[in-house]
Amino acid sequence: MSVRTEPAIKIAPKSIRRSWILGGLLIIWVAVAQILQGKATLELAVPDNSKFTAWAGEVADSIRDNRNDGLAFKYFFNPIREFIDGFVNIIREFIAIPNGSSSIPVLGWLGVISLIGFVVFAVSNVRMAFAAMALTFACGALGLWTDSMDTLAMTFAAVILSLAIGIPVGIWAGLSDRVLKVVTPILDLAQILPTLVYLAPLALVFLIGPASATIATMVYSIPIAVRLTAFGIRGVPTSPVEAGTSMGTTKRQLLRKVQLPMSSRTIIMGINQTVMAALSFVVIAALIGAPGLGKPVIDALIIRNVGDGFVAGIAVVLIAIMLDRSTSAAITKKETFVPPSEADRKRRKLALIIAGITAIVGIVLSRQMVWAAFFPKQIDISSQVANVSDFAVTWVTENLELLTAGLSKAVTVGVLNPLESILANSPWYLTITMITLISLILGGVRSAIVSATLLIAVVATGLWYDTMITFTQTIVATMLTMIVGVIVGVWIGRSVRAERALRPILDAGQTLPAFVYLIPMLGFFGPSRFTAIATGIVYSIPIVVKIVGQGIREVPVNMVEAATSTGSTKWQLITKVQLPAAKKSLLLATNQGLIFVLAVVVIGGFVGGGGLGYLVLLGSSKPELQGKGLVAGFCILLLGVMIDRIAQYMVARNSAPKH
Amino acid sequence: MSNNSSAISVNNLWQVFGPNPEKIVDSPDAALPRAELREKTGNTAAVRDVSFDVAPGEVFVVMGLSGSGKSTLVRCLTRLIEPTSGSVVLDGEDIMKANDARLRELRRTKFSMVFQNFGLLPHRKVIDNIAFALEVNGVSKEKRHARANEVIELVGLQGFAYAYPEQLSGGMQQRVGLARALAVDPEVMFLDEPFSALDPLIRRDMQTEVIRLHEELGKTMVFITHDLSEALKLGDRIAIMRDGAVVQMGTAEELIANPADAYVEDFTRDVPKSHVLTVRTIARPLADSETATGRTIPADTVIRDATAAVLDANGPVGVVEGGNIIGYIKSRDILQVVGGGTHA
Repeated sequence: MSVRTEPAIKIAPKSIRRSWILGGLLIIWVAVAQILQGKATLELAVPDNSKFTAWAGEVADSIRDNRNDGLAFKYFFNPIREFIDGFVNIIREFIAIPNGSSSIPVLGWLGVISLIGFVVFAVSNVRMAFAAMALTFACGALGLWTDSMDTLAMTFAAVILSLAIGIPVGIWAGLSDRVLKVVTPILDLAQILPTLVYLAPLALVFLIGPASATIATMVYSIPIAVRLTAFGIRGVPTSPVEAGTSMGTTKRQLLRKVQLPMSSRTIIMGINQTVMAALSFVVIAALIGAPGLGKPVIDALIIRNVGDGFVAGIAVVLIAIMLDRSTSAAITKKETFVPPSEADRKRRKLALIIAGITAIVGIVLSRQMVWAAFFPKQIDISSQVANVSDFAVTWVTENLELLTAGLSKAVTVGVLNPLESILANSPWYLTITMITLISLILGGVRSAIVSATLLIAVVATGLWYDTMITFTQTIVATMLTMIVGVIVGVWIGRSVRAERALRPILDAGQTLPAFVYLIPMLGFFGPSRFTAIATGIVYSIPIVVKIVGQGIREVPVNMVEAATSTGSTKWQLITKVQLPAAKKSLLLATNQGLIFVLAVVVIGGFVGGGGLGYLVLLGSSKPELQGKGLVAGFCILLLGVMIDRIAQYMVARNSAPKH
Repeated sequence: MSNNSSAISVNNLWQVFGPNPEKIVDSPDAALPRAELREKTGNTAAVRDVSFDVAPGEVFVVMGLSGSGKSTLVRCLTRLIEPTSGSVVLDGEDIMKANDARLRELRRTKFSMVFQNFGLLPHRKVIDNIAFALEVNGVSKEKRHARANEVIELVGLQGFAYAYPEQLSGGMQQRVGLARALAVDPEVMFLDEPFSALDPLIRRDMQTEVIRLHEELGKTMVFITHDLSEALKLGDRIAIMRDGAVVQMGTAEELIANPADAYVEDFTRDVPKSHVLTVRTIARPLADSETATGRTIPADTVIRDATAAVLDANGPVGVVEGGNIIGYIKSRDILQVVGGGTHA
């Protein structure tokens, strides 16, 4: 105990001093910003290029001109593209697009649903199988059969390729410390990389189309497969591994007979997460030509058609639920190593045979009968769904105006505008100085150096103003996320019942693609900066709540009991014991919150958010602004790295100091 | 004891963690206390210059508190952890010199290990856990299952061959661990605190089980424990470790009768001496005022067992070794030991 109390005593006066300095700095900043308002903001009008972005545009052009003859393209990028295009096409022709000269895919709708039913039954159970079939059917009923199948095919193709790379690399990193050391920084970077950042560069190299979309999806999901596989291998208890070694296993025997079987649960969890990541990315990858449900979502967002957007969004959600539930049912099945009894196994075998025959009948029918090949047009509830959602949104905006418009206005006027005037609308040198000083106080010298360097790099690109607009929105959204997240997190951390009630919602929230959140937010708040912020908040609350909840739950029981026995009130217990003890989790949650928010806020460029995200999107549609779009993506990356570094240094600083 | 006649012979074994471990071996730094060494060179000497010989069929116990290096020592003997220097000779072969393939072969045939946390494979049936070493050695399924069934019977696991480890109690799981170690019919068994994770009652049963197995099979065993009563119960000889070095080595009686230093004495203080010491240690010449009763007892009788006979006799009893009387004891001598007197 003496070890624990000692640093606490030392830190107390220091942290008071720190917060005083911080407060003083802020006051000075606000005051100076007021005086110098509007000066040296480096604002660049939307259609203009800076020197740097113009140069980036030229580079992009030269890459494009080089695409057919350049050696790197001829012998490296183009073959990769062709291979992936071919692979994706095989899968698409199987369920989504006309196969060769035929007018239908290999499987008609009934065949696809039968096959899904059989596969889900084989990996999980009967209930999940029927649920999966119903969910798939519902996608067809929304009038989006082909788009849904395309999304499924794209996801599937990306998952297979990701696992083919991710699992072997993960095993390697699980076995070798050296490999892990090499891989970890790459994985970390991939995790903080906002999705919007690498779409344009990939499209530049691999053309717009399924190949680029698949590669982008792989970039996003391979790290997840690697991380969880390595984690699984490393999580195998030492004694069975030692026992295996002591009995003279070769490395390969040890892996095959001990380490892999014992980590199978975690690896399957990794497959589940890889699938969900791939799905959510395939939807966004519609921006660079991924076929599927992303397209109608984007179309609806561009023309602000909330009703149609809802229909496509719901289809995405249905597929997400289907994929998540059926793969996680496979995880629960793995909870025990004891296999079912002989009789159970026989029964199961019989059931599988029956299911298999039924599936084959469905598949054959779907290739022979028109009604089983094309999804019936009579079953189409899309217009009803669109009407209902339009009606709901109108009702909410009209009757709960105080809540929607009021909230939007309060945040915009009360928080967003003032912060924007400090960060973006005051001279750039003031902002850089102040951010550097603040990160010096919060994270130490190294974090100050990193922030200053990255911010100066931003200035050099010429997109300083837009970067600060995005930064402002990120900070505001994160602040609001943290307020809600900490309250709910403390609640579920303290109450098992609340945790149980909210867990499914939190899990669902985490698996949904960020894109689909934009649709209802657009409906409620219209095209505005606040819509981007609100989407960021909704998207990142689940992760923040989870981390905070876990932190609170992990506060040692004896600490809580000691405080309770000295007569603390509930409020005192939370503010004086649980929250301070969970400080590290709070910092971690802030870090994750910031990264999640940033990823979504830039997508908010779609719905009036402005800033870097808007420039990225503009760059992909206007050739003369292509360089600007690429550079904007780069600035998002710089911003993400800066935020992450400051947060990491803060976490490191606040962890229990080592003697 | 010469190296030739011993089952396993350990000579000047060192295990040093940290940078440039070879430099610490035999250097004056190695004698520094743990914290000072760490401060000075960044190294930790987990095993310091350990040497011992184990006779065939002997149960050799290594005892020490946690952090004394005993677990590292046993892992060095099987090269689960590579020692920094020294030799471990098994059957005339220095296993430190074995290459990977030879080491695997040795592990598959010559020695086996039992672990504190059992180290069973949860995804395999009891029988396949037991047959694992045979399986990795390429023995056919039929043969290895036949052998596994033999040892299943030996350790009293009949009826559990097709159960999974998680369906068994802790004691039963460690029986599987024992059976697995016996399956290859090893020359030496290493047992690393095999019963520390078990309840006291089950622990006692398992100790008895090990004694029984040892009597039946006569395996050479190196047994690691932190529990002195376990060490006394099982060990033919005991080595006491502290800070990576062996402080004292000998039979239970030698350790208790003549502790090498305060550390060992402290360790053995609570042991009921009458349960360990033999009458030899308290035999003394007859005093002038005494007359022998004519009764005798063998010198290697434990004091506790001699109590009734000596109390019965109305005077000094002769202690006989090799046909000669080496001294006498009477009831007062025994009571002094039992009553915790300073004798011995």
